[in-house]
Amino acid sequence: MNTFLTALTSAESILLFAARVAVALISGVVVFRCFSSLRVGRRREDPVVVLEDMVTHEVIPVLYWENSIGRSRSCDIVLNDETASRAHAVLFRRESGWLVTDTDSKAGTFINGKKVRQNAPILPGDTVAMGSTALMLKRTADVSGLKPSKRPRRPAASPVSLMLAVTAAQLLLGAQACFAGDKPALMPLVPLGILLLLGWGLYFFSRKILGRVSFELETIAFLNSGIGILLISGTNVKETWVQLAALAAGMALFCAMIWFLGDLDRAMRWRVAIGVLAILLFAANLLLGREYNGAKNWIELGPVTIQPSELIKIAFIFVGASTLDRLQTARNLTGFIAFSAVCMGALFLMKDFGTACIFFVTFLIIAFMRSGSFRTIALICSVAGLGAFLILKFRPYVAQRFAVWGHVWEHASDSGYQQTRVLSYSASGGLFGVGLGRGSLKSVFAAQSDLVFGMLCEELGLIVALIAVLSVAGLLLYARSDATRSRSTLYSISSCAAAGMLLFQACLNIFGATDVLPLTGVTLPFISMGGSSMVSVWGLLAFIKAGDERTYAVRRRRKP
Amino acid sequence: MKTTGTRSFILYILCAGFAAGLCVFLYGLFVNGGNWAVQPFNKHISGGSSVSAEGRVLDRSGVVLAESENGKRVYSNDETVRRAMLHAVGDTQGYISTGVQYNFRAELSGYNFVTGLASPTGQSSGNDLRLTLDSGLCSLARQQLGSRNGAAALYNYKTGEMLCMVSTPDYDPANPPKDLTTDQTGKYDGVFVNKVLSSSLTPGSIFKLVTSAAAIEQIKDLDSRTWNCNGSVTINGNKITDMRAYGKLDFKNALAKSSNVAFSQIAIELGADTMTAMANEMGFNRTFALEGIPSAKSVYNVNGAQPQELGWSGVGQFTDLANPYHMMILMGAIANGGTYVQPYLVQNVSNSFGFRTVTGSAKTGGQLLSPETAAKLTTYMRYDVTSDYGDGLFPGMKVSAKTGTGEIGSGKKPNCWMVGFSSDEKTPFAFAVLVENQNSSIASAGKLASALMRAAAKIS
Repeated sequence: MNTFLTALTSAESILLFAARVAVALISGVVVFRCFSSLRVGRRREDPVVVLEDMVTHEVIPVLYWENSIGRSRSCDIVLNDETASRAHAVLFRRESGWLVTDTDSKAGTFINGKKVRQNAPILPGDTVAMGSTALMLKRTADVSGLKPSKRPRRPAASPVSLMLAVTAAQLLLGAQACFAGDKPALMPLVPLGILLLLGWGLYFFSRKILGRVSFELETIAFLNSGIGILLISGTNVKETWVQLAALAAGMALFCAMIWFLGDLDRAMRWRVAIGVLAILLFAANLLLGREYNGAKNWIELGPVTIQPSELIKIAFIFVGASTLDRLQTARNLTGFIAFSAVCMGALFLMKDFGTACIFFVTFLIIAFMRSGSFRTIALICSVAGLGAFLILKFRPYVAQRFAVWGHVWEHASDSGYQQTRVLSYSASGGLFGVGLGRGSLKSVFAAQSDLVFGMLCEELGLIVALIAVLSVAGLLLYARSDATRSRSTLYSISSCAAAGMLLFQACLNIFGATDVLPLTGVTLPFISMGGSSMVSVWGLLAFIKAGDERTYAVRRRRKP
Repeated sequence: MKTTGTRSFILYILCAGFAAGLCVFLYGLFVNGGNWAVQPFNKHISGGSSVSAEGRVLDRSGVVLAESENGKRVYSNDETVRRAMLHAVGDTQGYISTGVQYNFRAELSGYNFVTGLASPTGQSSGNDLRLTLDSGLCSLARQQLGSRNGAAALYNYKTGEMLCMVSTPDYDPANPPKDLTTDQTGKYDGVFVNKVLSSSLTPGSIFKLVTSAAAIEQIKDLDSRTWNCNGSVTINGNKITDMRAYGKLDFKNALAKSSNVAFSQIAIELGADTMTAMANEMGFNRTFALEGIPSAKSVYNVNGAQPQELGWSGVGQFTDLANPYHMMILMGAIANGGTYVQPYLVQNVSNSFGFRTVTGSAKTGGQLLSPETAAKLTTYMRYDVTSDYGDGLFPGMKVSAKTGTGEIGSGKKPNCWMVGFSSDEKTPFAFAVLVENQNSSIASAGKLASALMRAAAKIS
């Protein structure tokens, strides 16, 4: 009887171990296939229209959705014309067709001899004159010698197969959650079911109702969110309800934001209002906020507790991004710098320094992508350095975190308690983990939020943990490589900023927990427990999704 | 748009930072993961103690020295064995930081990078650690030491295997005294210290081997020189004394009689620089290691010493200190023609399937003296045994040795030492033994060394 029981326990252990190995393999393959499919599915940078010089008959390809025209070498269309301004005009494409906006040029911009200012439509055959240069807009097909290069059609992974693979991984995780306790339980199947319902709901809404071509980003986000929620379900099923509700809200926000960002004019009109709203939200937070673990970043709204700073992250990027014609006319960053200063000031007052760092890095990304000025960035960084010095001087508890940084083993029972537990239990997990719900880190304070990387390493193993963070890094690389293909600089800037924000936040989380950086207490995107964080992360993902031009190429495949 | 694309390269900085941080973490995990995992607080190992789920510790012939049973760490059922092996094996609580249970806790716990502490089969999978030590030999040393404090180290200077490593005072790890850590009277002072590795004591006349080596290299007509030993010599107004007046002695007999009068004059004649250079060459003022565990340094420092102090330093007094492990290595080096073989303690680490992951082997250490000096020193030390200590101490072996009585003052009797080695092919052993607070080195350390060498000769 005893040997039979031992054999049974062994068989269970081996099966659970095999399930963990399978989850690691499936997750790895899914993330890899998603990113390679994103690459393959991209448009080649072929011109759709061209501009022909009326004098020299030189043909200039128009490569982007928004093209700056001017004398400056950095323009997309360079005019060798002394009478043209350095940044003369912007030629861009919207749903209605091609438009021209004059960006405060000295000589002015004329279409078919008529002076234009903003959003002037231009049709193939029309001539646009800038300074002493006249260019005619033509379709590529009408110009000989410019053949669209044939792109090799490599088969991209089908979205449904990727979703099925994710479902398989999540079923395996759910099964592990059922065996997490001393006795097998069926309760973890409930969050698993809701999770799959949400994931497939989004899939059908996006693919079948909206007819979108790509679903890779959502697949990656769904995979990671699922890992996070099922990780929690292994410890306490009840804690997943909030997380599942937040996931649903996050997906809804994701869809709403993509719709909202679809109309660039609307998006640009609302920027100021959203900025004001963000500041008001901060003010409300400071007035009504509740202090929790040293940071006053929570507001109670009836039964719901939210972290406004998480939602302001979205507003922050939104306010920072801009279309190319606005970038060329309003070159200075003053407004955005002032807005950022208010945001970071509010975060300091809330004593939420981790989030302040995230805002600052995002600010640097946006500021650089808008201005390209190293001098401005250097100036801002030195001001920030001074600020950091003052904080360390006047807020000793922040300095204390730095004090234990790199010396956690000497303080294993006091200030280095959390980090040493993370390191020890991470190492205990090896590559495939000790088993979902069978870890010991979960009883350490903030294990499911600030220290969740350690919990991932311990319970599901290093490989799954690495896939979760590498996929965030993948989002960043994808956003960067797609920057020039976006339908507007508003999309490319916001997409890069959102991806940068996510990766930096992931860095603070995993490196803080593992003592590579000081522990700041921020969440790991998609994985950490925290409703506001989950909603905000899906909101940020919407920026990256909107950066992909195919997002708005609605129903392209539906027509035969 | 193009500029926006170019400027997006700023994201690569962030990405590089991420990659760098990840590399730091992964490097740490790869290199230190074992240490991170086997912390006493780790609940995957524990059950209260730090080593309860770990593998067995065995001696060279497979005698179980420590193992885990039902979540508890249990030791050999023979108290002498438990006490003899205490410092080599270590305790359950981890107070003895030089023990293998502490230093090899990652190996014992079965930690590996791939599965961590997890076991795919659900069965505890600690690794077994087989030592090179002979528990019988260690027990003999422990019995011989009895209630006296001291240390005994013996190794095979050809293969590097440590055969005996015993330190007293000690306690019984199976029944640790309740007031072990709370006692204020000092009755447990030094019980956690492995004296072989972690202590340095006044050497007395065993240091004359260093002075001899310097003399062999520096004094050309050494064997034709003689010293008048009238019981004492006055240097700089200070008297350096011998046990008795030996009369006129040549070098060989000066060493055999261990004449302080002769050796203090030799040290002064050689000078502080020569003495210091020789001591440093022979391994003083530096650390040696056993399985990565560092030893305490032997000390020779005559900076700013007065002539009489230099004289005393040449006979192993003044500020001289010797570490037993270093002395044993030095004997191994002399026996091996000047270069020692690095001692090791762990024969192999094997997992529950019997698969060996680590296997100890002979590795050449450094050179501590030249082959010529080693050969001459061997001859002189051999003469010590035959003329003075009596060859009967080591029947059937060709042992070269030197005794020492390190005076420590403050009302205590001297540290009695014997260091030496056998030159026989069949018994390639070097030893260093120390018995504290004794009158005669031959009667204490000599007797212990004799017993150990006789017993060691029977180990194959």
